[in-house]
Amino acid sequence: MTDPWWISLIKAFLIINLLLLLFAYMTWVERKVLARMQLRYGPNRVGPFGLLQPIADLIKLIRKESFFPASAVDVLYIAAPVFSSFTALAAFSVIPFGPGWHIWKWNVSGEVANLPIALVVIFALSSLGIYGFIVGGWASDSKYALLGSMRTCAQMVSYEVSLTFAVLGVVLMGQSLSLVDIVQKQASTFWFFGPQFVGLVVFFVAGVAETNRPPFDLPEADTELVAGYHTEYSGMRFGLFQMGEYVNMITLSALAVTLFFGGWYGPWAPLGPLWFLLKLFVILFLFLWLRATLPRLRYDQLMRVGWKVLLPAATINAVVTAALVVAL
Amino acid sequence: MLHSWLAFLIYGFFALAIPASMMVMSFVFATRPDRRTRARTIPFESGVSKGPPDQRSFTISFYLTAMLFIVFDIEIVFLYPLAVILHQLAWFGFVEFFFFIVILAVAYVYIWRKGALEWR
Repeated sequence: MTDPWWISLIKAFLIINLLLLLFAYMTWVERKVLARMQLRYGPNRVGPFGLLQPIADLIKLIRKESFFPASAVDVLYIAAPVFSSFTALAAFSVIPFGPGWHIWKWNVSGEVANLPIALVVIFALSSLGIYGFIVGGWASDSKYALLGSMRTCAQMVSYEVSLTFAVLGVVLMGQSLSLVDIVQKQASTFWFFGPQFVGLVVFFVAGVAETNRPPFDLPEADTELVAGYHTEYSGMRFGLFQMGEYVNMITLSALAVTLFFGGWYGPWAPLGPLWFLLKLFVILFLFLWLRATLPRLRYDQLMRVGWKVLLPAATINAVVTAALVVAL
Repeated sequence: MLHSWLAFLIYGFFALAIPASMMVMSFVFATRPDRRTRARTIPFESGVSKGPPDQRSFTISFYLTAMLFIVFDIEIVFLYPLAVILHQLAWFGFVEFFFFIVILAVAYVYIWRKGALEWR
């Protein structure tokens, strides 16, 4: 069931704008939730409950004076944020969010692109996203930015290994690399968060590190590195890096919902995308909760967790799952 | 099959066009200051900035981590296709899978004992 090109066009336009809206309001939600957890009010001046805050932020970022270090490598310095938000946005295209609909005489599928190798595409794009961070930090020619980008790179590649290994168990059980197939498989058997609990934990921890969120926000450790790889970025160029980070977080949560929690299926009532959004928000809330609760790790602790705890755990999980898949 | 890649390309076009247009907007709508000072064009420093860093050297551990990543990530790329069809290959597939992991584990134990996983 593939859509004609013009349906794909409309759908791509709608979905990317919804994703950007979700990103904009995620910044608002994050500030509100953090504020409440710290007994503050959070943004409440712009509009009711501060709801227009993201729009005010956008205008402010675009109006910022554009200046950058004279010694920065211009082309790379400007391309890096665009590239990092491009890979983040593009990865969302393969996430299935609904069962597909029959509208008038056309079938509209519940995802932008149903690729047979969707999972590989997501991991490939998130690996490519590292280039945005490392090139941006390097090209701005500042020591904090350089250190920050080296850290980002090392952290993201370390956790990428655990992340992809953790998903191996799901691939073994789902018997496909297509996310739609994996969701259908879960609907016909059971959701994978039970049998793949170890995989889920490794996936989530590695995912928090992969998106540079606290407590793994070493790349932007503001007490030591000012702001990490985007120290020399201001205005919308900084905004694009933020966009990349938040959209990565949303995509990763959506991937967790798809791989472990049955995607758009709910325990009852076929609500489709509403179930998907509900589960997505629960996981996004976990990200914020972690940020409000846990202190930042030290860099050697970070590397130790990644290579000596998560990687063996994910590998053993994959082997046990493989044995069970073959035996049962 | 190819149609879904077309959808992916259309979406990818938007995913590239929107950040690029935002980048252009950040130049077009930027506030113009009356005069530019030199202090804005040198990199940030908490204190007196001497300008760009003299040397761009960094810890060898970063390099080592990148090397380890390449090794392990390639292994995973090999495992994914096997994982998809493992239920068809049954025990033959599992033995192959297990051997692969054992070889990987030997290398893993080696780099652990060598101290390559310690951050220095």
